[in-house]
Amino acid sequence: MNIKKKEIASEIFTGSMADISFLLIIYFMITSAFSATRGLDFALPEETDTPEIKQEDSIEVHVMPGGAIEVDKKALPIDGLLPYVLEKLQQNPEKPVILRTDPEATYGDMISVFDRLRRANEEWTDEDGTPLYKDSKGEPLTEIKTISIPTQREIENIWNLLGMG
Amino acid sequence: MALIRGRDRGTGAQIFTASMADIVFLLIVFFVLTYKVEVDKTQMNLPETWIRKKVPEKAAVISIAPPDKGSTIRVSTGEEMALPVSSIEEVITFASTEVAKNPNREFILKADKNSPYGAVDEVLDALKQSKVKFIFLLSEQLTADEK
Repeated sequence: MNIKKKEIASEIFTGSMADISFLLIIYFMITSAFSATRGLDFALPEETDTPEIKQEDSIEVHVMPGGAIEVDKKALPIDGLLPYVLEKLQQNPEKPVILRTDPEATYGDMISVFDRLRRANEEWTDEDGTPLYKDSKGEPLTEIKTISIPTQREIENIWNLLGMG
Repeated sequence: MALIRGRDRGTGAQIFTASMADIVFLLIVFFVLTYKVEVDKTQMNLPETWIRKKVPEKAAVISIAPPDKGSTIRVSTGEEMALPVSSIEEVITFASTEVAKNPNREFILKADKNSPYGAVDEVLDALKQSKVKFIFLLSEQLTADEK
C-alpha cells in the first residue's frame, strides 16, 4: 500500500512585512535631518599672513542695533551697500571690507549684511559668468577679495595699540 | 427575497495594495541614503541667506541656543550628540583639541537669528584663538521675494 506523503508548501510569512517597513520609515523620518546642512562659509586668516590693514585703506561696514548700517561712518540703505563697495573697489580692487557688528545687534542682522557682501560675485557678473565691471587698471572686477570680521577683542586690541583704549 | 439576493451579488470595495510594498521599500531606501543624525537638536530660527554652501559632513558643531532658552553653548565633534559647556574657555579647549588633531578641521556655527551678536562674537573669538581656519555659519534659504 502506497502512502502518499502530504506535501507542505514552503512559504515565507510576509504578513508582518508591512508593519516592519512602516516602523523603519517612521524611525528614519524622525531621526534624519533634512534642513540645516547648508550655510555661509568663511575662512579665517592665519595670523602669520595677516597684512596690517590701515583704516583709511579699507571699507568699514558697521552694523547697528536694528539692522541699519553705516558705511565709512555714513548711514546707507542696505541696497546701496554693493554699489558703494563697487565704486571703491574700482579705484582700488585690493581694498578689504571690514564688517563690524554692534554687540547689541542681532546675529541675523550681521548675517544679512555678510550675505549681501558675498552676493557681489553674483551681482557683478552676468549669467555666463562674464564680468560686468572693470577696475581703474582695466582688470575685471568680480568679487570682494577680502571680507574681514574682527571680533570685539581684536578691535579693542587695535584701539589699545593706537592708544585709544 | 429578490432584493436580498441582489445585494449578495455586489462586489466589495477594495483598495489595491499590491504596489504598497514597492512604495514602502522605495521610501526606506530614500531615507537610508539621506540618513544623517542631527547632533544638535536645539530648536532655533536660523538666519536666512541667499548664498548657501553645503557644510562638510562630520564637521565639529558649536550651537548657541536662543536667549529664551538660556543662550546655552553646546559643542559636538560631529559624531556624537552635542554637550553643553559652562564657559567660553571650554569652547577654546574643545576647538584647540580638534584643531590639534586636524589643522584643517571645519567648524559649523549654529546660532539663532535673534541671538545678540555679542554672544556669537565671543564664540567666533574663541575659534580664532584656537586657530580654526574654516567656519560655516548655518542658515536657511532666503527666498527670491525676500532677496
